[in-house]
Amino acid sequence: MPFREKSAWTMLAALLSCSLLYLAQITSMSSALGELARPTIPIVIFYTVILVIVAIIGHIAIAIFVPKEANASVDERERKIFDRATHLSGYVFTIGVVLSLVFYLISYNGDMFFYTVLGSLIIGQLTEYCSQIYFYRAGA
Amino acid sequence: MAGPIPITNRVRELREQHGPMTQAELGELIGVTRQTVAAIEKRQYSPSLESAFRISRVFSIPIDQVFSWET
Repeated sequence: MPFREKSAWTMLAALLSCSLLYLAQITSMSSALGELARPTIPIVIFYTVILVIVAIIGHIAIAIFVPKEANASVDERERKIFDRATHLSGYVFTIGVVLSLVFYLISYNGDMFFYTVLGSLIIGQLTEYCSQIYFYRAGA
Repeated sequence: MAGPIPITNRVRELREQHGPMTQAELGELIGVTRQTVAAIEKRQYSPSLESAFRISRVFSIPIDQVFSWET
């Protein structure tokens, strides 16, 4: 498995775990409050830092196993894979943001707008990692 | 997954005649990863014109003796 496919798996696992933990925390806070919990900077920063730390540790771990591949530059096939994956994730993110804007115009709920845009960003990134893995496996 | 690309190649055969040369060695000579060489050999990936020329130069034969359109 190429280094960058391992990297995509690492990021997929890290982002998915952090997102689910964040979702669980917001859900439990909302249940306790009886309404949607407001997004707060400390919680967002906390999960962002956790994600960055997990991603760094994951990449160091895989680089230790394949140091030569980790230092190699991106080749033409990988560049094509990244372009296609980024293109797809861009669509997903854009659709999510447009739906969030429509939802905001209906509900005028700013907190929900934050969560739906954040959710779109996360789903867009997950799409990018999943499609990178798919294209690596498909050959191009 | 998509089927094989319509361009056939003799990369694996030529590699085995030269040494045999490993996929990683050929990849290093033409500036791509071992996995990309494997994808070319399995007809999953169509290399750029530049890489195709680099491959033919490694084996010292014309490009049309390495790659050909499937008839």
